[in-house]
Amino acid sequence: MIKTIAKPAEKKTTGCGECRSTCQSACKTSCTVGNQSCERVTREQKIEERK
Amino acid sequence: MRRFFPCLPSLMIHVFSFHDTYYLYDTGSGSLHLCDEKTARYFSGEPVTLTEEELAQIAELERQGLLNAPETQARPIKSNEMKALCLHVSHDCNLRCRYCFADEGAYHSVREVMNFQTAKAAIDFLLEQSGKRRVLEVDFFGGEPLMNLDVVKKTVYYAKEEGAKRGKKFLFTTTTNGLLLDDETIRFFNEEMENVVLSLDGRKEIHDAVRKTVNGRGSFDAVIEKVKKFVRARGDKHYYVRGTFTAKNLDFSKDVLFLADNGFDSISLEPVVTEIPDLQIKEEHLPAIAKEYETLCEEYVRREAEGKGFLFFHFQIDLEGGPCLAKRVSACGAGNEYFSVVPNGDIYPCHQFAGDKDFRMGNVFEGKIDPVLRAKFASSCLFTRKKCGDCFAKFICSGGCSANNYHYCGDIDEPYPMTCAMMKKRIECAMHVLAERKAREKTQKN
Repeated sequence: MIKTIAKPAEKKTTGCGECRSTCQSACKTSCTVGNQSCERVTREQKIEERK
Repeated sequence: MRRFFPCLPSLMIHVFSFHDTYYLYDTGSGSLHLCDEKTARYFSGEPVTLTEEELAQIAELERQGLLNAPETQARPIKSNEMKALCLHVSHDCNLRCRYCFADEGAYHSVREVMNFQTAKAAIDFLLEQSGKRRVLEVDFFGGEPLMNLDVVKKTVYYAKEEGAKRGKKFLFTTTTNGLLLDDETIRFFNEEMENVVLSLDGRKEIHDAVRKTVNGRGSFDAVIEKVKKFVRARGDKHYYVRGTFTAKNLDFSKDVLFLADNGFDSISLEPVVTEIPDLQIKEEHLPAIAKEYETLCEEYVRREAEGKGFLFFHFQIDLEGGPCLAKRVSACGAGNEYFSVVPNGDIYPCHQFAGDKDFRMGNVFEGKIDPVLRAKFASSCLFTRKKCGDCFAKFICSGGCSANNYHYCGDIDEPYPMTCAMMKKRIECAMHVLAERKAREKTQKN
């Protein structure tokens, strides 16, 4: 039995470089890219929410 | 009909469990699946028998690209645009923390603070080097940056003014031990700082054993109420209470929960990175640390289910959104898009290289960066970190911290196995937290 918990959403854009610098987070020692967000997607979502 | 169908251990699928819950993480697709024990054993390469129906489900998931998916080819983001500066406004500190990687604030040099001319030159340098990038980040760091608050304020106002002229926005962060927080500073931070990181290690006896005042006394009582007051005034703006755990508190889940119980809902706790014999994390500590992350994870899930959750930095993971693959293979960006500037204006790849002459990359008054060193850091990415090739966590940690790699293994591209072990455990816990949350949300919907 296998149940899918999470799968990546399709991305419209990749490699735009708008994301924040990885080290500008809380830890300053244990960078984890995977818990960051995509700046562009976040911004697009905010625009959608405002509509 | 049941049949024997052995499966070789796959490098693409990471099988792990959290107590009696089994998971499959497909590295190639980034998908997380829940499974039963038999399926977990099958994917671990054990000679178990799956039914036709079970095999058909696996085949369907493979067809959908969610299992045994090939890794998508990705190129790292290689831009010469500078994004962020860590501004060491004070190479002095009003605490003498035993584990400080920054030599108790002095960075193995003289105790000094940055003057405004240097900070201004650093901002000008960032603006000049930032190309078309619109959002820039400046982190006020030390030592203790509040020992040079006047320069912090002037720099913020200057950066905002100059940024506005060029259509650029600055996001500011300050990392502070909280000792000098007062009403005026709280007001300033809440107006100007996108994020504030406050150092607090947890329980009083744990904090006081390592975070000492200049006179050698524990600093807990001197900071706790100030930090609480700050957080109360912070509203919904970002902050982190950020602690360090050492070999002295391998029961660190108690410290995270202590912080949560004291009203802090955004917490990070990091393993110590300095090699002080009685504090250093050693290989023999790893089983206890893994167990402690599990303990914390269980309580984290329990509190979240009761609506009393808090945010633990390392238990956040976004498998559905999150950064693009290009970002995930690009490593941390130190020495290429992110730099540190120390009080005399010298530039280093990041705060953890500050003061190491081998890594001096230039000076903000010279207006240029050592091209050889920059090229070395710019080319560093997941693919130059050869040992990461068959690691399930590679698209989540991106090969880890360049400074950590260098300081422990002598090469920015050589991951430190101890750090990797802790990172992998945290990622497994984060995935379990995500799975539990999803299950809860589904139950609530129904």
